[in-house]
Amino acid sequence: MKQSFVFSGSGGQGIMSAGITLAQAAIDMGKHATYLPEYGPEQRGGSAKCTVVISDEPIVSPLPRLCDNLIVMNELAYKKFKDDVKDGGVLLVNSCRISDPDRRDGLSVISAPVDDIALEVGNDKAANVILIGILIGATDIVSEEAFKLSLQEKFKNKKPGILEMNLNALAKGIELGRHHRK
Amino acid sequence: MGDKKFMKGNNAIAEAAVRAGCRFFAGYPITPQNEIPEYLSWRLPEVGGAFVQGESEVASINMVYGAAAMGTRALTSSSGPGISLKAEGISYLAAAALPAVIVNISRGGPGLGSIQPAQSDYLQATKALGHGGFHAMVFAPNSAQEAVDLVYNAWDYAERDRNPVFILMDGCLGNIMEEVDLPPMKELNDEDIPGWALTRRNDPERDWQLSLTPIYTEEMLEGLNAMAGEMYKSWETEDVKYEEFMLDDAEYVVVAYGIASRVSKEAILKLREQGYKVGLIRPITLFPFPKKVIHDLDYSKVKGIIDVEMTLPAQMHDDIALQVLERCPIYEYGRSGGCLLDDDGVYEALLDIVSGGENNG
Repeated sequence: MKQSFVFSGSGGQGIMSAGITLAQAAIDMGKHATYLPEYGPEQRGGSAKCTVVISDEPIVSPLPRLCDNLIVMNELAYKKFKDDVKDGGVLLVNSCRISDPDRRDGLSVISAPVDDIALEVGNDKAANVILIGILIGATDIVSEEAFKLSLQEKFKNKKPGILEMNLNALAKGIELGRHHRK
Repeated sequence: MGDKKFMKGNNAIAEAAVRAGCRFFAGYPITPQNEIPEYLSWRLPEVGGAFVQGESEVASINMVYGAAAMGTRALTSSSGPGISLKAEGISYLAAAALPAVIVNISRGGPGLGSIQPAQSDYLQATKALGHGGFHAMVFAPNSAQEAVDLVYNAWDYAERDRNPVFILMDGCLGNIMEEVDLPPMKELNDEDIPGWALTRRNDPERDWQLSLTPIYTEEMLEGLNAMAGEMYKSWETEDVKYEEFMLDDAEYVVVAYGIASRVSKEAILKLREQGYKVGLIRPITLFPFPKKVIHDLDYSKVKGIIDVEMTLPAQMHDDIALQVLERCPIYEYGRSGGCLLDDDGVYEALLDIVSGGENNG
């Protein structure tokens, strides 16, 4: 099986980290993955996008035009990328910033207040982990265990509280995602 | 054996260089290759090497020139605009018969262009890396793994030929993270320092070295150029590298390198499922160009060649045309300026050509 993901938002929202940690988790599970970041010259506030392809087979092209899963963190990215998801794909949006996502036929739309949930678990920066939690809850693209390992690796040099908070965020996301499991 | 990592193409190139024995890097920042100097800034000191962020591209390539003269495996990297600035130094390296490796992680052009990926530097890399009519071997990997493998061996070619080696890879491959299997560290000793290196100046067995500020007599310069010409010819038979994919029964043959070859391959697989006989020739060395395989195609069967590149207009066209010799049409498809090729775009373009326009619109 081959699945593609586009994470999009603005610089500072953890778009790139989300892509890398997801891809790393897939690799740790013995799958193949590619991760391609795309951004402008800005460090913060500019548009940020990354494409992740995960497959059981070696990946030929890392450049799909349309993705299976579009994850959008803000309105600007939503307007720019909303048509880049396949019919029958998943559109996952941050409802704190995107009020009225497209409900076109055949699209599974998941709208979740990830900014608010992130603040509840302790830090708005954890919003990206909640998004991945939702994906894990709703699909089987990577296992919870593999993603936890990926998070542990990412935060191994940070204060212990940071990892805890992100694991909390992940759990919240997975719980939410389970409601959308087909 | 086996040291697998999930790495960015740029970081993979940097690590492969270290493991190949590279112990000197000088460069000046430019997107989309900044991970190479960033990585080497901490990695080279770990292995006793030296990293310099030069004050400019010109200074950096000249530091590489100096390090190469000492017999040190030296590297610089940049992107299009910076490579243009290094042109003088690369030409001087070739003139002084010195090995070094130069990496171009290319972006949209011309001029400052864009920081997004493009394959717009083919002509610069293969025809005119500097003035004076010299060539460097040009390798064009299409994955992080192949970049590792080619960079790992690049100094062996450079030292064998006493000539710079060039790696051309677009910003897309430079920034993609994928799995790589890293080779072991080459342990180079004093005996491995080439016989001509300045560090061997007191060695009675020392091989010849050209002057570092070469001003030759006309006859000597002519002789050196003739020797270089013989070397370029030998590359065509000894060192040319390419990949053939589904070529045996192909009626249409895509020619694509680097990232364009991967997107093309995906499209070819889809076209094959629909019964279209499409194949691929992927140059891995852009110079020497894989002439023979294109020349020797069975043109009673091949109805068209399709040149797919992430640049407009296509730059490989003339090299292909010199082998096709008007025996079939040559089509082109590309994107440019930092707009990326994508699976559907290449598929639709190829379908339009191989179906003779039946699927057009």
